[in-house]
Amino acid sequence: MALCQNRLHEERKQWRKDHPFGFFARPQKNSQGVLDLKVWECGIPGKEKTIWEGGLFRMTITFPDEYPTKPPKCKFVPPLFHPNVYPSGTVCLSILNEEEAWKPAITVKQILLGVQDLLNDPNPDSPAQAEAYNLFKKDRAEYDRRVKRTVRENAAP
Amino acid sequence: MDSEDDFMSAVSSEDDILPDDSDNDDMSGAEDFDFDDEPDPDLGMEKSISHKRVAYDISFKVYQPGDIQKQQDDLINEVNMILDISKEEAAILLRYFRWNKERLIEDYMDRSRQVLEAAGLAQTTVGPPKLEVIPGFVCDICCEEGDGLQSFSIKCGHRYCVDCYRHYLSQKIKEEGEAARIQCPSDGCNLIIDARSLDLLVTPALRDRYHQLLNRTYVEDKETLKWCPAPDCQNAIECGVKKKDLDKVVPTVSCLCSHRFCFGCILNDHQPAPCDLVKRWLKKCADDSETANWISANTKECPKCNSTIEKNGGCNHMTCRKCKHEFCWMCMGLWSEHGTSWYSCNRFEERSGTEARDAQAKSRVSLERYLHYYNRYANHEQSARLDRDIYYKTERKMVQLQKESGMSWIEVQYLNSASQALQTCRQTLMWTYAFAFYLARNNQTEIFEDNQKDLEMAVEALSEMFEKPVTDLADPKLKVEIMDKTTYCNKRRIILLDDTAQNLADGRWTFNVELSGVLGGNNGGPSNKR
Repeated sequence: MALCQNRLHEERKQWRKDHPFGFFARPQKNSQGVLDLKVWECGIPGKEKTIWEGGLFRMTITFPDEYPTKPPKCKFVPPLFHPNVYPSGTVCLSILNEEEAWKPAITVKQILLGVQDLLNDPNPDSPAQAEAYNLFKKDRAEYDRRVKRTVRENAAP
Repeated sequence: MDSEDDFMSAVSSEDDILPDDSDNDDMSGAEDFDFDDEPDPDLGMEKSISHKRVAYDISFKVYQPGDIQKQQDDLINEVNMILDISKEEAAILLRYFRWNKERLIEDYMDRSRQVLEAAGLAQTTVGPPKLEVIPGFVCDICCEEGDGLQSFSIKCGHRYCVDCYRHYLSQKIKEEGEAARIQCPSDGCNLIIDARSLDLLVTPALRDRYHQLLNRTYVEDKETLKWCPAPDCQNAIECGVKKKDLDKVVPTVSCLCSHRFCFGCILNDHQPAPCDLVKRWLKKCADDSETANWISANTKECPKCNSTIEKNGGCNHMTCRKCKHEFCWMCMGLWSEHGTSWYSCNRFEERSGTEARDAQAKSRVSLERYLHYYNRYANHEQSARLDRDIYYKTERKMVQLQKESGMSWIEVQYLNSASQALQTCRQTLMWTYAFAFYLARNNQTEIFEDNQKDLEMAVEALSEMFEKPVTDLADPKLKVEIMDKTTYCNKRRIILLDDTAQNLADGRWTFNVELSGVLGGNNGGPSNKR
């Protein structure tokens, strides 16, 4: 528990010192208005020169008590049209899976950059929602149209 | 029964560890209840070389935890010497190659760089792992810094504080049960943490668990090794029977803990039925038996289209919902012939009714056939359970008997043998019924059923004697009878199993289902002859 809090403090410090352009990430305030380090609100911009360019997608990161031994959970709010995002909004990514590639040394910055990469580079081997996956596999034109619509609905300010 | 020394000495030699007891052909039940019918694996693979060998024998070896460790150590030492790499690295490489030493050495000679990389090993060699205090070090996991903070890294140089490393390792070992492939905690670094580094970092309890898990991967990686599934048993069994042979042989093995199980499917001993039939049978029983009983008790079939019908109220005038056939529920005859005696059927003698009932009976045959075998199977299963209860009482009985009749310990052991014989024979009988369900009739089945009947009668007779009160058991005449019967049961069981196994190996059985893994031969497709 102490480890979790320490690490999150440090993550917060590091993020404020330096973070990639276009992103934001901050701990949420709970109902009493106190900062809750274990739930972060983040924004991930679509990469330049991809169909995701111009969008800013909101994601919540929830850190478990066992963090950083166990990975945090990332969830798009609202759920995102993407082959590797579950209908609930939860992101399916190897570095976020404790049985796969999660390592305690992975930082919040790495997670956010990893999810940004995932946007334009979906992994067809682990589909998480039928709709986006099917279109991605069978009808790329329609897939691109749907992505662009998603980008318009989540346009960066 | 086996002393530790016995075992240890035997393993290093190529011999089997089982006591050499099956040489005596007369199964005098008093002394060898545990091994009365067990194979004598010394005889090796060739059947022809021994006249004593029965057809269901297979050879196997039991290994205790120490032996499993020793086998690994031997392999590791060998690779360590040949390839000039440390033992820890040799272990990691061997695990990566699933303990295939030859392939490892060959591949390593050809392209050591790629092999090392794929297995998660660094190419540089540094000294033994040690904890270090480095000035100005900040741990990337917990973000602690400070003078005197102990840190550690494996060869990749990704350095973290000792606490974080320990935390990470205990999570991997305790929560995830991982051991052979624990990687460096750094993102994207797939260097494997070796056993020596781990021993330096974690508590003794965790270290034991780690080595236990490593042993587990050793057994699980090798196709010829399997764990004994008995609770709390730590032994592994080696047996050469391949998966594709399972339609020809039922590889029953017996662990030092006395648990007998099938090496093919890990279920309890199910001789004489082959694994595939056992799987089907268990599935069928799980799906069907209750349903079939209910159908048999509560429904009738439409005399015209054979749909199963439950009458859940109303009068005897039935109209089949499927084929619209109208009939009388009582006599199963045509409703149109009932004339005016509509609601009280007294026409049982009429021809159309008789015919309908005959047809009905026929369609019930297959169901009843199943229930016939199932009931007998279930009965033996239950009786074996009851006999097991009696077994616990036997011990008490034996003590009582020693007191009351002045017999010595060795003189009352016959009860123990009888109880063991009952258990094993019932287990066998149980599976003979599952086996018989899938058998198509031929001359072999006649012999099989005779053998089955003989064994069953002997077992029931022994079971009856066995339940007599203690006072009767003291009678020397009954004692001799029980001993004789025990011997007889064991013998009948061997005869039955030998015969079945021989026919199975020679492909002389015809099954009414396709046995998986069968390539041609006599075990053709469905041939429901009954």
